[in-house]
Amino acid sequence: MAQLADVEETLKRIEAHKGVIGTVVVNAEGIPIRTSLDNSSAVQYAGLLQDLTMRARSSVRDMDPQNDLTFLRIRSKKHEIMVSPENNFLLIVIQNPCE
Amino acid sequence: MMPVSQDKQRRRTLLLKSVQHCSRTSSSVRSFVLTGAHTHRAPHKSSVHTQKQTVRVFDEENNDVTPQPLSQDAGVTQAESSRFLQDELSAGSVSLQTAGSGSFTGMPCSSSFLGSSRISSQSTLGSMNEEIEDAFSKLELHTHIPDVRGMKSTGKEAVTEDQLSEIINVCITETESFSLLDLPSTIMSVDADDAEVIRQRNQRYMESSKNRAGDDRFINRWMQTLNGAVKNKQVQSTSVCTADTAVSVTPWDMYDFVCGVGEEKAEVSAEPKRTEHPQASLTSSKCADGSISLGSTASSVSAASSLKELEASGAVVSTDSDLQSIMLSDKFLLSLDVMEKCVLLNSFQPRLAAYRQLPVLKGWSDVSEIVNQEMLSHREAEERSSISPTLECLWVFTCGPSEGWSVSSMAWNKNNPDILAVGYSEGSSTNQSAGLVCCWSLKNPRWPQRILPCDSAVTSVDFSALSQLAVGMKDGNITIHTLQSQEDCSISSRDSSNTHVGPVWQLRWSEQELSLSEEKSESLFSVGADGWIRQWFVHNNSIESIDLMRLKRSHSVEKKTENVLAVQTAGCCFDFHPTDHSVYLTGTVEGLIHKCSCSNTQQFLETYRKHLCPVTCVAWNTLVPDLFLSSSSDGSIKLWKQDQPDALMSFGSSLRAVCDLGWSPSCASVFAAVREAQLEIWDLNSNILDPVVVQPAVPGVGMSSLLFCSQTDCVLVGDQSGQVTVYLLSNLRQGDSSQVEVVEAILRSAA
Repeated sequence: MAQLADVEETLKRIEAHKGVIGTVVVNAEGIPIRTSLDNSSAVQYAGLLQDLTMRARSSVRDMDPQNDLTFLRIRSKKHEIMVSPENNFLLIVIQNPCE
Repeated sequence: MMPVSQDKQRRRTLLLKSVQHCSRTSSSVRSFVLTGAHTHRAPHKSSVHTQKQTVRVFDEENNDVTPQPLSQDAGVTQAESSRFLQDELSAGSVSLQTAGSGSFTGMPCSSSFLGSSRISSQSTLGSMNEEIEDAFSKLELHTHIPDVRGMKSTGKEAVTEDQLSEIINVCITETESFSLLDLPSTIMSVDADDAEVIRQRNQRYMESSKNRAGDDRFINRWMQTLNGAVKNKQVQSTSVCTADTAVSVTPWDMYDFVCGVGEEKAEVSAEPKRTEHPQASLTSSKCADGSISLGSTASSVSAASSLKELEASGAVVSTDSDLQSIMLSDKFLLSLDVMEKCVLLNSFQPRLAAYRQLPVLKGWSDVSEIVNQEMLSHREAEERSSISPTLECLWVFTCGPSEGWSVSSMAWNKNNPDILAVGYSEGSSTNQSAGLVCCWSLKNPRWPQRILPCDSAVTSVDFSALSQLAVGMKDGNITIHTLQSQEDCSISSRDSSNTHVGPVWQLRWSEQELSLSEEKSESLFSVGADGWIRQWFVHNNSIESIDLMRLKRSHSVEKKTENVLAVQTAGCCFDFHPTDHSVYLTGTVEGLIHKCSCSNTQQFLETYRKHLCPVTCVAWNTLVPDLFLSSSSDGSIKLWKQDQPDALMSFGSSLRAVCDLGWSPSCASVFAAVREAQLEIWDLNSNILDPVVVQPAVPGVGMSSLLFCSQTDCVLVGDQSGQVTVYLLSNLRQGDSSQVEVVEAILRSAA
């Protein structure tokens, strides 16, 4: 079991990195349980990205059932959204790499 | 059917069946008078009729065509009959029962109390009623009845001619059905137990009936049977509730179910949380056996609205526990690690691309634009002027815990070339009490992957082929760390019996051929300040060493004062031959370089004397055989060939000590040296007197360590402030001919 202090520290390091707008940790039900954004944005990100992750995972596994989705990056004009999907949680980081 | 006598036109028999016929022949009835004459009534008559009226009918000629009663027997019958007729005419309703309750009319002829079948009677009074209303016919009664009466009184007399010619009506009615033979058919299920018996009986009967076709004793006779009345029966039951379900199954769902059943049983505990999981309508596949991938539950709650509701209702309790369990899971830490690398790679992408010699993506980000521009302009400037080698600082490995510590040693992981181990020692070179080893990954220049604190200042690190990290420390301790898992497994040589007394100056893993077999096993070699070179073997959880070489003091230097205690001289560095792993060089504090062999533990193979100060580093050239460099604290770098006892070349003359030295793995004529104040890149191909590139150190911070990158043209330089800077070496001129020849040409020319 990882130490909570290490986990917290790593999360804070990510949030402090250059260009990172915010992070959201979403639980299995789609509820953001820890975020550095405001609540409404976090909820919106959680809901939308969960759907997209599901769809992406379904697509990957449809092609080959032994394959699975490990990471999802969406590059848009303004930001890059990175999603690390797992079985029981979703880690979302939004970064603006141009800063 | 019953013709009326011609001579008695006015009297007609009142017959049901011929009334119609009669009416046609009779004169039409002109009027119909109903008089209310009281008639006698027999006491036994039914009380239905209370008629007291007498009806008189007249035809066109005012003839009285009132139907007369059929008989006037004792006045009762007449009255009855008249009454009967009246009843018929007035009431218009016929009551079969009243007429038949003793009346001669309407009854079966057999029951006529007159005893004579001459009396006409109606079969059905209903039809008579109708006929009477339509038309009237004379009733021939008055004259007949006395005749009849007369006849009755006599009893049985001979039948007169008149009587014989009379038309007699015979009424036939149906009796009730007699049942002669009731043999109900039995119905039996085909599956019943004795169905076979019945079937055989049936069979036998059919056969026997066929046989009897010609038999005289048996006649086929058909009978009409009564058909039972059909009764409809209805049964009402509760309607069957139906519900439609639809499931869309994906290929991976089926795969999970078939193959993944065993794996996911362990994670069933997380399933209850999944049931309220908001579901996109696209992937509404059924959760087969608790597979917990995000896309395989069967709820149909819409995503956004349910989230908002849950947020609004404030499901805080469950989320807290969720948070805890998620945060503490290993997968979360792994995800964080990957995420951190991705985030950092976004900003470091151009620099890493340059490191890996990949094309830098234009337009990736503004940073890359800037860096690209700089690099391009720099390169262009260089190209315009002259193609000269340049050093570019790509990035710096630095982190909080290592700040202020001095970098003493660096080593690349042989298995994963992205991993770098850096050994730190605390504080200035004099006061060194604690040490630190950080394992950095190229993908995360901001935070090391592992931080391993050490008890003493770290002097040397090296990775083995199996990714074991050996750390040599100032107190003579050697620790071997296994870095596969997150936990720190380490083996210390403290418990070993044969350890170094002084600082371990250098460690090296090397493959050695075992004496008896041809296998190669890797073992750790160390050289320490106590003058011993030791070979270490790892057994289970401990390491043991054997003494490989004893660095004796050379007698020529210390002849006068033979200090018994100081028989050995400290070894500062050593290096194994790139191809022949049993031969190694070692440099001592005296300034001597000894060439030794692993098999010979008593004598040096060769000794190279040139340096006056301690030799800080020796390095074999990996590309050109038999060439090696040595550097020492006197500031000189000397190039040697293995067989020749004298140095071939000497580089550098400044008095600053050379801390570290390294050959370029890709270019045979390039090497780098680190003095405290600067980094020097030498290219023998272009200039043997001066370094090609000089990179001065940050003022106040001295450089202390050097390492070449094996796959790219990069140099890592560690300094005393805990920073490891990555420099990109570019524009080193590469000749056409083979490098070995180039170097040898240089050597020949220099000699």
